[in-house]
Amino acid sequence: MKSPAICTVRRMDPILQTTDLTKYFPVQRGLNPFSKARKFVRAVDGVSMTIWKGTTIAVVGESGCGKTTLARTIALLTKPTSGDIVFDGKSIINGKTNSKLVYRDLQMIFQDPESSLDPNIKVGDSIGEPLEGLMGWGKNEVKNAVEKSLAAVGLPQDSVDRLPGQLSGGQKQRVAIARAISPQPKLVILDEPTSALDASVQAQILRLLLQLQKDYALSYMLITHNIAVAEYLSDYMAVMYSGNLVEYGLTEEIMAKPRHPYTIALISSAPIANPWKRNLLQAEIRGEVPSAINPPPGCKFNPRCPYAEGTCSTEIPKLLEVSPGHLVACHFVEKTT
Amino acid sequence: MTALDKVSLDIRSNELLAVVGESGCGKSTLALAIIGLLPSPPARVLSGEIVFKGTDLIRLGQANMREYRGTQIAMIFQEPLSSLNPVYKVGDQIAEAIMVKRSREGNARVESDFMQKTHKIVPPSKVSKSFRYSKRISGELKDEIIASLKLVRIPDPDQVIERYPFELSGGMRQRIMIAMALSQEPALLVADEPTTALDVTTQAQVLKLMKELMTKVKTSVLLITHDLAVACQVADRVAVMYAGDVVEASNVFDLFSKPLHPYTQGLLSCLPTGSKSKVDLKPIPGSVPDLRSPIVGCKYVSRCPFVMKACSEKKPEFIETMENHEVACYLHGEKNGPHPANN
Repeated sequence: MKSPAICTVRRMDPILQTTDLTKYFPVQRGLNPFSKARKFVRAVDGVSMTIWKGTTIAVVGESGCGKTTLARTIALLTKPTSGDIVFDGKSIINGKTNSKLVYRDLQMIFQDPESSLDPNIKVGDSIGEPLEGLMGWGKNEVKNAVEKSLAAVGLPQDSVDRLPGQLSGGQKQRVAIARAISPQPKLVILDEPTSALDASVQAQILRLLLQLQKDYALSYMLITHNIAVAEYLSDYMAVMYSGNLVEYGLTEEIMAKPRHPYTIALISSAPIANPWKRNLLQAEIRGEVPSAINPPPGCKFNPRCPYAEGTCSTEIPKLLEVSPGHLVACHFVEKTT
Repeated sequence: MTALDKVSLDIRSNELLAVVGESGCGKSTLALAIIGLLPSPPARVLSGEIVFKGTDLIRLGQANMREYRGTQIAMIFQEPLSSLNPVYKVGDQIAEAIMVKRSREGNARVESDFMQKTHKIVPPSKVSKSFRYSKRISGELKDEIIASLKLVRIPDPDQVIERYPFELSGGMRQRIMIAMALSQEPALLVADEPTTALDVTTQAQVLKLMKELMTKVKTSVLLITHDLAVACQVADRVAVMYAGDVVEASNVFDLFSKPLHPYTQGLLSCLPTGSKSKVDLKPIPGSVPDLRSPIVGCKYVSRCPFVMKACSEKKPEFIETMENHEVACYLHGEKNGPHPANN
């Protein structure tokens, strides 16, 4: 059941595309700094995905699955080991890229507003200072932009002269959002934007994010471990497990009919606020996320998977389409229907 | 500052009571008060009582409280890494817990300096031959440790007891904390955000385990959580706290189907329970009041959509308005009404 609105969304242009994106971090074992036997944490291990213009994609997964590294790589905060990122029609990895343009058009909001705002810098400067460099604006233009973005996130104008310490957690996150939207970005990466907040504040921020998306025609990439938040905010969903993308598709479709065994486990482990539907106590998932240094061979989920067979521990499954726009990386996807 | 303001709650035997509330509402203070771990000073219990199996724990005194803490009332904290000692093997730490229980029951000989070390401050030179250093765990004690680890479904328990806490994952550590707590067969287990630091799949495993063990060990659980969805999944009864008050308490089904207190209603409409096209979140306006200055009436006044004149004059009493459903609000209950404003 697809509503026509979503079909038109699908025909939109991509705002960002990654191809075989990998990011390995070298780890050193033992004390010998010249040791040749280098090992790597495969934080992001060949991720290809698309973010469509004006939509929200939620990247979900548990801690250590590489979702934050993926976001940081896309935001050019770390260099990918290999692979390509095409942002707004241009590759931002290969060839000459104006990184300033990328930093302007691609903004990021972090989990903890406590540490993403300088405690000694006034809110107005926190928002305004980057604009001078990114947009090349003068004092007056910056001042106007700061006022406008404060109004957009629902903060009083006198907060310009406040220090972050004088604000509550929710207000601080609003400042972080104001800072992200002020250079009129095209894509905003939201890295766990509400997980440090209380339920009532989380609802305020979620609503604000939806409103801003409408007003500024933003695309969002939402990184979260909270399935309920992902379901609420996103149009598309990408499920990551141990550095790999295991499922990608419309949120509605995945929530209603998850196909990868890991997605099934993840969704059934997420607590629902409905005492008549106690899914949590029925959830069947054993074991824990494998080490990213020595992942199990084949499909990384095979030691925990109820459907695993011989091929699963030898061959890495490819991300294949099971229905239009719905991709799953599993050898035995037919078993989960 | 009043962190807890005349909180009245009861936990029945073999029941899981979840206390939910936002940060700063006093839910952790409540847990610490029950187990007698409030840092005093600065904290002081000004009035009230905590009756556990007929004994008032507040007036018990530290020395006698020690007999209850750990053995009768056990506690699990949020961050398992900081509640396990990093320099001792997991098996030794569980052994210690079991030894303490035995000594309290008075039917075991415990190495004198081992007990000395746990109960008094002894100069390091004198504890060199203490229990953990000199004895390898073996025999019946080892069996008991392994049995308690098996109970919480730790794979390869005989290897895990030789490990240090840092070698284990968060979920394993929290399960070891549960194993330690339940090895005491406590009548009450206080769990303060036991799964907040864990991943969702691990959280599901740990909560499921806690729920199963509750029936096996016959214990009551006080679960402190900020996550309404978690409370809703595992609790028998739920108490909602706001700014140091319990504003509503009822069985989980009533609370979610017909919440009475406006704060509970507000909290429930804040939960994302579907996609944005279907669910409209209604955030609670405003923010939690500053508890450093005393508040006369109901503390929810500034955010409540149904606020009346009486609300800011006198604090509504926490009363049972329906069967097993208590609420502190002038909108409900005859004892609080007829509403002064209506006269």
